[in-house]
Formats: sequence, structure tokens, C-alpha cells
Amino acid sequence: MKTRISALMDGELERHESAPPLDALKAGGEARDAWRAYHLIGDAMRDMRMLSDGFAARVAAKLAEEPTVMAPSRLAQRLERPRWQLLSAAASLAAVAMVTAAWYAIQDATVPGPQVAQIAEQAAPPAAQVLPPDSANDYLYAHQGYSPRNSLQGMAPYVRMVSSESRAAKQ
Amino acid sequence: MIRTLGIALVVCGGLAQAQGQEQTSPDAIALLRKIYQATEKLSYAGTFIYQQGERSETSRITRVTGPGPDGDIERVEVLDGMPREIVRTRDTVRCYLPESHTVKVERRSDRRAFPAMLPEQIAELARSYTITRGEPTRIAGYDCEAVVLTPKDELRYGYRLWADVATGMLLKARTFNRKGETVEQFVFTQLSIGNVSRERVKTRQNMARNWHVEDAAVTPANFARSGWTVGAELPGFRKIIEVTRRLGEARPVNQMVYSDGLAAVSVFIEPMAGRTEAVRPGPSSLGAFHIYTREVANHIVTVVGEAPAMSVQRIAAGVEFKRPQ
Repeated sequence: MKTRISALMDGELERHESAPPLDALKAGGEARDAWRAYHLIGDAMRDMRMLSDGFAARVAAKLAEEPTVMAPSRLAQRLERPRWQLLSAAASLAAVAMVTAAWYAIQDATVPGPQVAQIAEQAAPPAAQVLPPDSANDYLYAHQGYSPRNSLQGMAPYVRMVSSESRAAKQ
Repeated sequence: MIRTLGIALVVCGGLAQAQGQEQTSPDAIALLRKIYQATEKLSYAGTFIYQQGERSETSRITRVTGPGPDGDIERVEVLDGMPREIVRTRDTVRCYLPESHTVKVERRSDRRAFPAMLPEQIAELARSYTITRGEPTRIAGYDCEAVVLTPKDELRYGYRLWADVATGMLLKARTFNRKGETVEQFVFTQLSIGNVSRERVKTRQNMARNWHVEDAAVTPANFARSGWTVGAELPGFRKIIEVTRRLGEARPVNQMVYSDGLAAVSVFIEPMAGRTEAVRPGPSSLGAFHIYTREVANHIVTVVGEAPAMSVQRIAAGVEFKRPQ
């Protein structure tokens, strides 16, 4: 079940395959522990800030304690809208325009040309990634010697090989 | 009023534009150069973790520098999983696999046959990457400064490197994809710089009992002459080497390496007849490595690259054989 949960997190399961792990997660217990542990591993790798123990429970409790806010509407004031409110409305419109312009400027700067996008579509990698066979190690090893990375990192990149352990973890 | 707003809009747009296209800074290139020089000159011993997906592996690395042909020796030993040890001197790389009593040997008779990144080539990286400074941080007890190489297209990964402020020693290296997700990462957990005993770079393997030696027998070659070409080369990547070598037991293969100065992709071509096990065509991957296998003119073409799947696949698709006239 743990491997199914891992596959579910990676988005590798078809819709019909994902029902059993989802049910297991709803039931809690070991499955949910695995779910948390895998997310924790992922977060640690991405250097995400950790939340303290029982964070979710504390937020839920705080929310339950909060009184419902009953805000009275200001009918009377709305009738005679002062001049400065109109001005502020104009200002916020201007702000929206500025943000929109800035957004398009950013889009222009970051969106790659149509040619690149087209290639990306053609050669999109498959969703489920296939681990190379152990025999691929000969190629990986032969490749390492020519990697310019060695000039910045010494021999460290040489440790990258397919090992039976990584195979076992994936299956 | 409207005119003021218009000016504000122009200024705002200009700022956004500047932020979207950050420029390579000479300061960041200088840091990259400092890391390169540290890798060349420093003696060190430490433990690092290689992380990729859910897998993480601990290794020990030791390097001693000194004069003479056997002056610089570097040894890396993988501590988790299948035991393996790799020792590199100035002209030879040996990989010891104690479980199979095998040692793979690769000699560098011709220094040109093993191109390293040269200091003057570092500035050229700015063609394919935007090189900027990152946030400083502290790693394994060292105050580190950071450099970020953001790719200018989708054909290569991005890199974030952290190096010791005092020496330039690389403490952490992260490879990220275009979504900014970590593809793989190396990070030191313990490191001491300088004063490393020569004893520590000697292999721990006892070679007395029937180990067999696999010599890569690397020799320079020219495959275009024998009919092999890679049609559509990738922008920014150029061919850096062509050799004939042996893989594993005794299979002779052709190897061509393409690189943009940092990322590298190898093309292996071997006759189908020489293969004992079944060939599985198509893509596969391991961390930042993508592999693509296909069949061309009764040969197996295997493309291995530290680059996104798309780049590896495009190079693989471009491999052609035309019988020489």
C-alpha cells in the first residue's frame, strides 16, 4: 500500500487505481502516517519550512473559538457618497491598470517563443518515469568522466548510479 | 492627473520588465570561477549526501593535492547500498566494485581526451544561463555564498550552488527543473578543509584475490567518417569529444559527448550483435539523468544526459547513419 501511496503522490496512478489508496488514507492509521512521512521527505528535500507538531489541530481549535463577526451594513453613508470616495475609486482603478500592465510585462519577459513551446509539446516526457535497468550503470559511469560538472564538484557526481536499492524503493 | 497616471504606468511596466529578465552579474561569474579554482587546488575530507526523489545516499570524499603525476588524488566511497569506491589520479580513474570483484580502469593518456571546464569557458556559460548571486546561508558549519544558473531555455536544467565564503569550496549543489522543483541535490554534512593524510586516499580494497580488470581502452575517433552523424544539434550544445571505448566486459562502443559548458549529453553507438541482454527502447530516468535508447541501422543508440528528457530525446532522434561513399 505504501508504494501505491507514493505513486499516488507522484501522480502516477490512473483514476481507477487511485481509489484503494485514497480509501486507505481516509481510514487513517499506517497509510496516513506514510502519506505524512512522504510529504515530510519531499518538503525536507525542497527545503520547505517545517510546521510545528499539531499545527493543524491548533488552527482548527482557534477557528472553533473565534466568534462569528456580525458586521452592520452602513446604509446611511452610502447614500451621500463623499467626493474623496469617488477619487479613491478612480485610484483603485488606476492601481488595477498598473498591476495588469505589470503582469503583461512579466508575461512578455518570461514566456518563451512559440517555437520552444511547440517542441515542448511534441516531446513531453511520459507521466510515469521509468527507472533505467542496472545495465545502464556502464553508460552512466562512462558518461561521468566527460561531465564538465566535475570541474566544479570534483568526483561527487560519480556516485550517481542505478542501485538495486533505488529499484526496490520504486517498486 | 491622467498624465501622471500614464507616467506611473510606464515606470511600473519598466520595473516589471527589469525584474522578469535578470542580468548575469560579473560578481556571480567571479564566484563560479572561485568554486572552479577551489575544486582544483584544495585538499579536503568530508561526508556528503546525494538526494534524488525519495532516495538519499551518503558518501565519503577525500582529496589530496600535491606536485607530481600522483600529486592530486581524489577518492569517493559510497557508504549506503551497493559498495563502490572510485579513485582518480591525474591520469587514471579506477572504480572498485567489491561485490563483483571488478575494477573498471579508465586512463587519460591524452589530456585533451578528457576536457575539463576551463576558467575562460565559465564566462561562456552566460550564453545559455543567466548567472546571478543567491542568498547566503550556512552549511555544515561554513558560511556560504550562492550562485544561481537559470537556464535561458527548456533544454537544460538550472543549478544553485553554495560555496564556502573563505575558500570557495562547493558545499551544496542543487539541480532544478523549469518549474523550480529540485531534481537532485548534493550536500555536505561534514567537511574539513586542508591537512589530509595521503593514507586516506588509498583504496580500502584488497586486490590480492582474483579481481578482474575492465579497461575502457579509450581512443580518439571520428564517426562522421564511418557514417554516423547527429543531425539536429541542440542550441548551445556543441560536440566536445569523440572516442571509441569499451563498456563493461568487452563491448566496444562509440561515444560522442555534447555539452553547453555545464550540462553534458553522451551518445553511445554499438553494434546490435554485441549485446547479450534484451534492449529496451524508449526513455528512462534517474534524478537529473535521462536516457533514451533506440535502434538505428542494426546498432543500439543510447543517449545519456544530465539534461531534461526533451533534450536527450531530441539528440537521440537526430542520430543518423549514412553509408560512407
